[in-house]
Amino acid sequence: MPHSLTAGIVLAFAGSRANIARTILSCAGIVVGVGALIMVVSAGDFGQKFATAYGEANAGLPATLHVTVEGRLTDRSALEEDLVRAGGRDLSIYQNPSKTPMLRSGDQVFSDVGFLGVDPSLGDIRRMHLAEGRWFTEADLESRAPVLVVNRTLADELGDLTQIQVGSDRWLDVRVVGVLESTALDFTWYSAYMLRAPASEELLFGTSVDTEDEEDPYVLTRTSQNSYQVRIDPTDPAAHDPFGEIFAERLATTSWRWGIESVDDIWVYRTDYGDEVDAVITYLSLGLAGIAVITLGTGLLGVLNVGLVTVRERRRELATYRALGASRFTLFVAVVMEAVVVSLVAGLIALFGCWAVVTAAGVVTERLVSLPPGVSLGIPVSAVLIGLGSAALVGLLAGVIPAIRALRASVVAGLRE
Amino acid sequence: MPVDVETPWSGASRPDSAPLLRVEGVTRHFTVSGRRIDVLRDCTFQVERGEIVAVVGQSGSGKSTLLNVLGLLDRPSGGSYVFDGVDTTRLGEGRRSRLRGEGIGFVFQQFHLLERRTALANVGVPLVLGGVPLLRRRARARELLEAMGLGHRLHSRPHQLSGGEQQRVALARALSRDPALILADEPTGALDAASSTMIMEQLLEQARSRDAAVVVVTHDPQVAGRADRVVELVEGRTR
Repeated sequence: MPHSLTAGIVLAFAGSRANIARTILSCAGIVVGVGALIMVVSAGDFGQKFATAYGEANAGLPATLHVTVEGRLTDRSALEEDLVRAGGRDLSIYQNPSKTPMLRSGDQVFSDVGFLGVDPSLGDIRRMHLAEGRWFTEADLESRAPVLVVNRTLADELGDLTQIQVGSDRWLDVRVVGVLESTALDFTWYSAYMLRAPASEELLFGTSVDTEDEEDPYVLTRTSQNSYQVRIDPTDPAAHDPFGEIFAERLATTSWRWGIESVDDIWVYRTDYGDEVDAVITYLSLGLAGIAVITLGTGLLGVLNVGLVTVRERRRELATYRALGASRFTLFVAVVMEAVVVSLVAGLIALFGCWAVVTAAGVVTERLVSLPPGVSLGIPVSAVLIGLGSAALVGLLAGVIPAIRALRASVVAGLRE
Repeated sequence: MPVDVETPWSGASRPDSAPLLRVEGVTRHFTVSGRRIDVLRDCTFQVERGEIVAVVGQSGSGKSTLLNVLGLLDRPSGGSYVFDGVDTTRLGEGRRSRLRGEGIGFVFQQFHLLERRTALANVGVPLVLGGVPLLRRRARARELLEAMGLGHRLHSRPHQLSGGEQQRVALARALSRDPALILADEPTGALDAASSTMIMEQLLEQARSRDAAVVVVTHDPQVAGRADRVVELVEGRTR
């Protein structure tokens, strides 16, 4: 058996090499089909990575909830304790300033900057890609000046980041500690994250802690909408509740501690949309894969057709093999393997073609669009394996019928031809 | 340098006392459009090791059918055929293929070389089927082709060779696994007189040097005249 198998494979390779025209003819359909399959898998992989990066940077790591409490809070620290008690692993305030401030760099004033008040822990909830500097740390809470992290577009416009001021009624010096890569993920063209700290309290919440409540710096009087980003365990049932009722109910049981009476004032929804994107990509990939499979099926028929014709034409050659001692199994393997070799050659051609297209597309994309870090156009290993695997499978399927025909043919009749 | 090729007798002496093949009462009939045609009616003969036997007879007498039976390409309808001590009528297809590959070499009238393969590759085919590794296979094929005077044609393809050269390649192929029996079906039928003489001389010389028996089917009295013995087939019966 091993002898017969090896002999069949050796004869198949020799036959494919000797019949180049037949090999090329058989390849065409498979090249298109396998190429389509490789492109579908590659596009799916790219889409998946892009969506994940987009989602993790813009909406949070899996199972990130956006919690909004409407109304005046009496004890913000109690709310934050309860957010943890309700299942929050990491939480960060997520607050637009009550009055949008402006930035000033020398004589230049920027009035269209999007600000967002956050805590250092937002770096654990989202994927932050820093081009320069760093994300906020706990030490920044002690800063006497408001601390910012800005996006690259804004940083480029600001120029010297050590001479920046922020304000609405009056100007305050700020510290810019980091610059985030500008991507399609930025929430506005000019984006600035502002650390929630005593120094930025007035900017974010519109009142000075000194004037309102010296006992508890987190008591806020003027802010009626309080937003948080909370990351919970992805296996928590609250993570799979589309309307956020489970988490809201958990908070509502103790909401009296922070001055909210009704569960209707608590809004919770999941911000990350990895699941939805996965579903869309899966359906899209299935549709495209279906088209690729149909194309591959057409290619299979091509190889099958050429295989059947050549088996009929090669009756004398196959009979000669038998006369020289080839067993039926050897002949079967030889004919099937020829189809497999042809299909694999086609698969390799398709792979090379796809690689060329994807590389060219990658070069063009890099010049036109700034992709998130870690996301690039390329052919993943899974696409190579699926492409070549399906090529081999198609060859196998297309080779079986001609091989059976070859075995049925009479050796004596073949030698007479 | 001669290259050793494994044969059924490697490592053991051949059973010299028994005939190489014995055919007893072999019949072969075909059914065409519901009509039975008896091609071989009663064939009985034997061939000793190293013996040269010519099978002669008129067209349609069953010579080629007999050769197909002897070459294990066809099964007799009746009778027995013992090759090298093995009753082949009871063997399965796999064993018959193996016995054919190891013990029998074929030389066909139309050469039956693989068109797109070199002379070297053609001679190597039986060795591929015998599981001989690549380097030994090439060395063996080269040695045989050089012995046939084709050392300068190793990489030529069949269409680049003359009829005589093609038949010499086919002869080298038949000898590649050092078979005990060489079956030649009209080996000179497609050749001119000079090439025919050369091929027959090489066939007989190579067979004798290897102690291989030869059964040659021929119409040519000159070819038959060089055999040790002649078996005549008349209407499917041996005489």
